[in-house]
This record gives sequence, structure tokens and C-alpha cells, in this order.
Amino acid sequence: MDELIYTLKQQIIEALNLEDMKPEDIDENASLFGEGLGLDSIDALELIVMMEKNYGIKLQDPTQGKEIFRSVAVMADFIAKNRKK
Amino acid sequence: MTGPILITGCGVISAIGNNKAETLDALLHNRSGVGELAYLKTEHKEFPVGEVKMNDEEMRKLLNISDDAITTRTALMGMIALDEALKEAEITSEMIPNIGFISGTTVGGMDMSEQFYLDYVNNDKHKEYIAVHDCGNCSEMTAEHFGKFAFITTLSTACSSAANAIILGANMLRCGEADIVVVGGSECITKFHLNGFNSLMILDTKPCRPFDATRAGLNLGEGAAYLVLETEESAKRRGVKAQAILSGYGNACDAFHQTASSPDGEGAFRAMKEALELAGIQKEAIDYINAHGTGTPNNDLSESQAVKRLFGEEVPPMSSTKPFTGHTTSASGSIEAVFCILALQHGFLPANLNWSQPMDDGIVPVHQIVKKELKHVLCNAFGFGGNDSSMLISRAGSDRHCWLDQQSPEQRPIYVLSAKQISVQQPLSEDWMTQPIEYQEPFNRSIDPSFKDYVSPIEARRMGKILKRAIATSKEAISASGLSSVDAIITGTGYGCIENTEIFLDALSKEGEQMLSPTYFMQSTHNTISSLVAIQTKNHGYNVTYAHKGISFDSALQDAVLQMRLGKIDSALVGGHDELTPTFYNILKKGGVMGRDDEMCGEAAVSVVLGSRPERKLCKLLGFTMLHQQSNASLKQNVSTFFTKINKKISEIDYVLTGISGNHESDMAYIEECRELFGDAKLLKYKHLFGESFTSSGMGIYVAAQCLKAGMIPTHLFVNPSDISNDKITRILVLNNSDLKDYSLTLLEK
Repeated sequence: MDELIYTLKQQIIEALNLEDMKPEDIDENASLFGEGLGLDSIDALELIVMMEKNYGIKLQDPTQGKEIFRSVAVMADFIAKNRKK
Repeated sequence: MTGPILITGCGVISAIGNNKAETLDALLHNRSGVGELAYLKTEHKEFPVGEVKMNDEEMRKLLNISDDAITTRTALMGMIALDEALKEAEITSEMIPNIGFISGTTVGGMDMSEQFYLDYVNNDKHKEYIAVHDCGNCSEMTAEHFGKFAFITTLSTACSSAANAIILGANMLRCGEADIVVVGGSECITKFHLNGFNSLMILDTKPCRPFDATRAGLNLGEGAAYLVLETEESAKRRGVKAQAILSGYGNACDAFHQTASSPDGEGAFRAMKEALELAGIQKEAIDYINAHGTGTPNNDLSESQAVKRLFGEEVPPMSSTKPFTGHTTSASGSIEAVFCILALQHGFLPANLNWSQPMDDGIVPVHQIVKKELKHVLCNAFGFGGNDSSMLISRAGSDRHCWLDQQSPEQRPIYVLSAKQISVQQPLSEDWMTQPIEYQEPFNRSIDPSFKDYVSPIEARRMGKILKRAIATSKEAISASGLSSVDAIITGTGYGCIENTEIFLDALSKEGEQMLSPTYFMQSTHNTISSLVAIQTKNHGYNVTYAHKGISFDSALQDAVLQMRLGKIDSALVGGHDELTPTFYNILKKGGVMGRDDEMCGEAAVSVVLGSRPERKLCKLLGFTMLHQQSNASLKQNVSTFFTKINKKISEIDYVLTGISGNHESDMAYIEECRELFGDAKLLKYKHLFGESFTSSGMGIYVAAQCLKAGMIPTHLFVNPSDISNDKITRILVLNNSDLKDYSLTLLEK
């Protein structure tokens, strides 16, 4: 799981073009949206594309993202359970 | 000018009909045109769409256009609607040279660009289509099918483009710039748009249900509509009757998010309020609102809040006609304005089809057609980036409480308060005056400052270079102007965020229609720049974007000057922003669009603040005019009229700053025209330093203003070294000539 979390952080940084950020800067338990990293709805859509590209997981409803993208840890857990690649 | 603005003709084409009669019949019989995809070649068959029920060949046949002529679907639909509008207003081809044409579109000839993109990159096949990518090209194609209009320009504010074209047209009539203008918009469905909206996950796989609890997104549509706006005096003279009256209009910026509307609908609220105020009509008098009502959860909630804030408990009957046509994006403002005109003429409220359950906190729309006499209606059109507009349309012959009865606008002094640039010269500085950087390469990219002072890394995550440059120059210009904020943000851009457009097109062409990034799509709309500057500077004022070839900046400047003359605004941030990638440089060179002969192409970001208070000024703007498609004789006549109007003599110009760029044909034209028009005024140039780009004319204003402020002309700006002298500088005329047919003249004074 730790490895997945680290990889996921790298993929998030790349997908969202978070210049100057390193995986260590992201707390896997902190909120990605709102108070935490301060991401928004477009970032959520980018994360959906990222999950489909890297893990073969296709979300049909953007509101599902709200639950899944709560934190990197929650996201990693979801990916581990649902990944197709 | 006095009297109301009349709508003396209109034409429309959409999924529910190829003309007004078919459209009316569909509206009266609740017949939707949304259905299974039939014309666009795409793998996304799962989305219902509102296509115009003709393929390109059928449209060409209808219009009598030969098979080998270069056209785009957007232009073809535009011609069909324009034809109907001109006929209804009884406009003959002899009248066209005295009439303006203003169109709105978002992606211009994208139907061709997405089809031929890889050819553009790799070979010479289809290179004759390269130029049609430009939004302005589609407008010209549409207009020139009927003749040579007096002027043509193009607005690109995403889904409110056509509404803003109507607003510009009305402002031009009010300023006495024309007696008749034809205004509206056109947009076809493209793979680019369908996949872009899909990447934003706002397309519904079922027929859209605006304001319904179960609404799950929009259906994409297409179409075109044009209105003939005319002064009462002109209509009387011609003996034509009004179809309706444009009583008021408003434009405001939500300044909230690039694709989402604010929860309280601030931009929409302001736009509607302004339309009522301009018309001088009480809110109780509004009989119907044609909602923007796209069917996305976000839009309908936000629009409901805006309407409730404005109308309180007494919300007028309201419906969205998007279930009939799908969301016709850029054209929706004029298409739905025509629906409103039909509703006023035939006394009915169009139904909000597919509605069954009220949404939380939302309005309850008119869900069945209602027969009712109507007098005043509001028509909303909102765009990405929060470019929100609203029009107030009244039944012909209704009591006139229209603002046009007021006196003509007075001439107010206008000053250039500040001007900042980022380009191939040292950014945000005037070092080019003393230490110009010289380039040998035909294409060079901007020298960027550190953007950290202007945008935080988290804010910058989705911003291409053009956006960061626009924000940096805008913030610097506003700060240097001494104003705390500006009343309007008006931007010109030829190709917008072309870097992101390229990435999206490239992915679409190579990887197909799956897993596309929403970021690249949303940045590809031309109005991203202007709306992002509004978001960054928290500005809810008037906000529009012009995208029309080499006069994009000039059109923006014209708009600012018009509104200052009308007293609508006291200050404006006028931007000219274009970036260029190596790939698009090669494509545009191949298409003969730029990079000809010895021309150096660059990138340009210019932000200019205009204001009416001279405390901290660079120079005074004595006059501005744009001239289109002139014969030598009419050019001379019009230039002379321009100088008479501003009470100056041509001999009072010290210097003419020209767009001489290394393009032989265009340079020759500059030299000959200047000799003919301005006699022995000394010629200057700036494009050898800053490069050619679509909005480089903005750099001309910047250069002239800085020279006037400094009281000196650097020797490297002189076209003829023999002209170099230390003569005093009082006035510089900035002359822009785009495509050898569009001119702008800006006279600046120390």
C-alpha cells in the first residue's frame, strides 16, 4: 500500500501539474479538496482521467469522485480494490 | 441618435428548423430536434445531440455554393440564417457596404482543423483550410457570401458569444457608428466540442432536463441566428417595420471559476439587472424569461438563485428551450433571441420540455406551452469563464421607455493610463528603447519574467504561458494606472491558448476520443484569458473577448472607446494576447497566414489601461477608428472624415507608427498608403523588434504611448534613417493594416 500511495502522489502531481511539489509534500490523510491542497472540480475530472489511464478504472458519475478523492489514502484504497491494470 | 433600437429582421437555423417558419411550428408543437447523432463522425453515439438536419453538401446546394469552395459548417449555417435575416429586413446587396456584421463563435473552423490536423502538421494536403481555423475567417466567409460589409468583427465568449455580438451592435448604433448592423452567431457541433464537454462530464446520455431534479447535464446542439438591428430613423426612411425592439442588455462577469457558475449567480444577476436598468423597465413588467438553462446541475441552480435574487417571490414565467435544440453554444444567444421574438409576435411561452420534478432551491419552469400576450422578455446567455449576458426584448409597438430616447453621447476625453508588455523583448520593461534585442530567427518565443509574484503555484497549475503573461501584464498595468480596479476587461486574441488547443487536437487526432484532459479543452476557449484576468482581479464588470485575425486587439480597443463614449464605463483594461508554438508557427506559415518573406513572428502580451481621469497618464487618445475593405478613394475619404470628427488636421501628425514587418506585400502597402494619406509624416515601425502576432497591433499602442511619455523616439524605430531627428513629439498615429483590408487608426497625443 505504501508503494501505491507514493506512486499515486507522483501521478497526482503530474496529472494536475503541481509545479514545485514533491510526493513528500502531500499528506496522504489530508483532504485533497477545500482546506487541504485546495483542488477543485476540474482537478477531480483530471484525477478521473488519470485513474482510467493508469488503473483502468472508469467513473461514470463525477459526484462519485467526492468520496473517492477525499484523501490520497482513500484513493489508494479504492484503486487497490477496483484496479483493472 | 434617438428612438429605440429596432430588430427589423432575423433568421435562424437549428435542430428544430432551417428557418423561422419551421422553428415557430416546432416551438408551437413541442417538437424537439434533439436525437441520435446522425451527421457528425464520432464514436460517441451515446449522447443525444441537436443537429441541424442537413449535411454540408446539402447546405452548399441550398446556398448555391460550388463543391470545391472552401467553407466550414459554422459558416454554412451562418449563411443560411443571415440570408433569411437580410431578406426579412429587405436589405439589398447595394446596401451591404453600409452595414456592419458582428458574429460570435467559439471555435471557428474547428470542424476542418480536427479533420485535417495531422495533415497540417505532416504534409501539404488540405493546407488551403489552415486559415479557416480563425474565428474571424468564419465570420468573413459568412458575410462575404452576400457582399462587402462596412465592417466585420468576431466575439468569442464561449456560450454567450452571440449575445455579446448583439450588445456590441447595439452600442455601435447608440454611438452613431452605423444605422444598421447585423449581429448574432453560429457554431457547429465538432468532435472537439463534443469530446471537450464530455471530458468535463457535463453531457447527459438522455434528453436534457433543465431545472428538473434529475437533470444530469446538457445535450450539445448547433445552429446560427442573426438579427438586423436598425435605428428607428433608418427603418422609417426605408419603410421597413420592426419585428421587435431591443430595449436593454447587460453583460457582467461572474469572476468565480473557469467552467462553473457561482452558487449565488452573481454574474447572471448583474447582467439581468443591468438589462432592466438600461431599458428603464420595472422587473414586474417582465412577462417571460428565456433561461440559459443548460440542464447541468450547476448552471440551473446558479441561474435559479440569480433570478430569485432579482425577482424575489414573483419570478416571471421562465423556460429553457435547450430541450428543443440542445445547447447551441456560441449561437444560443441569438437563436434564443429569435425564439423570444417569435414568442412576442405570436403570444406564447415556449415549453421547458422534459421537465417533471422540481429541483431543490430551483425555479419551476413553464413546462407546457402557454398562450399569452407578451410585452417584455429577458433572454439569458451565459458562457464559460462567467461571461454572462442578458437581453431585454420587447414587442414591436410597445410603449417606448427605451434609453435610446436619451441624447447622443458626448465626446469624453480618453487617456492611456498605463501599458505593459511581455514579448520577445525584456518583459515588463521599456529596455527595448535603449537596448533592443535583435533576432535572426524567423520565429521567437517570449522572454518570461518569474510569474511567482503574480500567481501562486497552485493557481498556476492549469495555466499555459499565455494566461500567466496576461495576468502579469494586467496586474502590472492596473497597478501602474493608479486605479484600484477597472470598469471593464476587454481582450483581443487571435488564436487564444493555442498551446493547449494543440495538445487537445493532437490527443484527439492520435489517441482518439477517450480519456481527454478537461484542462486542455477549457483553456482552448478564447475567452479563458479575459475571464481568468477577471477571476484574478475579482472584477465583475463588462467582460468580452474578440477573436478576429489581425484586428482582434483593435476590436477590443474599439469596444472600450465606444463604451467610454457612452458613459457606461470610466476605465477599461484592454488586452492583446497571443502565444505561438513551433507546431502552429509551421502550420500558419504553411497556410500563408503568417511568417511570410522576412517577417519575424513572435508572441505578444499587451495590457493597456484606458481611463477618463488623466492623473497618471502616458498619453491622450484623441481618436480611434476601424475601416474595412476600402477602395483607395474611400480610404482617403474615410481617413479625412476621421480627422474632421476629432477636430485635427492630418498635417498635425508627427509620426505614423506602422506595422511594417518584413512581409513585402504588406510593407509596400503601408509605405504607399502612408505617402498617399499622410504626406510627409515620418514613418516608424515596431514589429522588427516585437515580431508579428495576431494582436501585435496592441504592441503598437504600447510603443507609441511609451514614446510619447518618454518624449523621444528611439532611432531604431525609424523606417527611413534619414528621418531621424530630435524634433519634438506631440502626436503619433498608430496605423494597423491586417490582411490588406482591415485598417485601424489610433491617434495618440502627448
